[in-house]
Amino acid sequence: MALAALGVSACALRSRSWLLGTWQTQIRDTHQRASLLSFWELIPMRAEPLRKKKKVDPKKDQAVKDRLKKRIRRLEKASQELIPIEDFITPVRLLDKARQRPPVELPFEESERRALLLKKWSLYKHQEHEKERDAIRTMLKSQQEALQELQLMSPELHAEATKRDLSLFPFEREGPDYTPPVSNYQPPEGRYHDITKVYTQVEFRR
Amino acid sequence: MAAPVRQSLFGVAKGWWRFERLWAGSLGSRSLTLAAAPSISGSPWRLLGAVCLQRPPLVSKPLTPLQEEMAALLQQIEVERSLYSDHELRALDEAQQLAKKKADVYDEEEDEQNILLAQDLEDAWEQKFLQFKPGARITEADKKNDRTSLHRKLDRNLVLLVKEKLGDQDVWMLPQAEWQPGETLRGTAERTLATLSENNLEAKFLGNAPCGHYKFKFPQAMRTESSLGAKVFFFKALLVTGDFSQTRKKGQHVWVCKEELGDYLKPKYLAQVRRFLLDL
Repeated sequence: MALAALGVSACALRSRSWLLGTWQTQIRDTHQRASLLSFWELIPMRAEPLRKKKKVDPKKDQAVKDRLKKRIRRLEKASQELIPIEDFITPVRLLDKARQRPPVELPFEESERRALLLKKWSLYKHQEHEKERDAIRTMLKSQQEALQELQLMSPELHAEATKRDLSLFPFEREGPDYTPPVSNYQPPEGRYHDITKVYTQVEFRR
Repeated sequence: MAAPVRQSLFGVAKGWWRFERLWAGSLGSRSLTLAAAPSISGSPWRLLGAVCLQRPPLVSKPLTPLQEEMAALLQQIEVERSLYSDHELRALDEAQQLAKKKADVYDEEEDEQNILLAQDLEDAWEQKFLQFKPGARITEADKKNDRTSLHRKLDRNLVLLVKEKLGDQDVWMLPQAEWQPGETLRGTAERTLATLSENNLEAKFLGNAPCGHYKFKFPQAMRTESSLGAKVFFFKALLVTGDFSQTRKKGQHVWVCKEELGDYLKPKYLAQVRRFLLDL
């Protein structure tokens, strides 16, 4: 409402002298001022003289970029840190001489017993291996015969039987333990803190 | 064709007679299904799919005396070739200190003595271990020799056998069903399992191919132009979870390891089944 009134008054004042001309220009941007009727706010008093634009700016930017690129290239050239294999690094506390056991002198009977036991063991393992091999051979043979019979019976069923079973792999199974699981076992309370060291290898690639 | 014919004719007479009696009762409930279902066109053999359901072992096998000796020897060698551990070093130091204390009249380093010796720690660990009661490796079902229970013989593979009525005789065999057109043989085996257990047993089938087969001819009285005999194809499956519900009658199924199969199965059938069962 006030704006409309001012606008009307501005139209009325247009025909007056130049003194009022500044007033008119100030009235134009009344929408930007805090209070519409304050006078000293109309005249901008705090401006500085305009600064000149620097001509060296693009060169400076280029120089900064080059310095960064040089740093990156130096980092790349330096050989990458390989992830250490903790099993191959002997901890220093285990190199102590006090840790070594005194060498054991085996009596003759003991060394004989050991040699004989090792021979018996190798024979036993050989027999076990043969048994396993024969068992697997009979299983495969039985399967081959069954597939041949199926082929004679009906080729379509044979084709379906020889298709790959995609749901079979990955095949996971928990192996047998020493004792069966206890049905009402209460595990001890506590939190699990995982302290494994995780190494990350950063690859610098352009 | 001549060889199997000879084998089936000159087989064990008693077994042959049994089979004759088996299929003679062709109006029995089981063979009605056989007569109804069509066989493969052109072939005089009927097709049956069977499932060899195995419960894998839960517990490791006990060691033989030789294995025990070898295990002890390996442990001895490992200890001989190792370095002292922290616990052992501590025990040695304490032993030295005790010896010094006994030798010397007065103690110079009284403040540095630990109240808790290595021996005390070991005793505490031993007590804690004794408090834990592990599960029994030989279960009650073993003691009672209850063959229908799944908790028997935890260190062996157990195979499922069912008693079927063929004609007027009860025969023990692996669960089987007649093949129906439109399904694979593995599908037949899965259907057998589902109907047998009313969807209580969950099993993982090991592949699409059969692991073994058994074929037999019907006795002369039973043979027609379209059915000369039957071929059974076995599929292996591992039991994941589940067991028979109580609704099934007690005497109809049995979980049996490889040695005990001979108590139940016919000789020829047994011979074929033993080929594809791995002896642990």
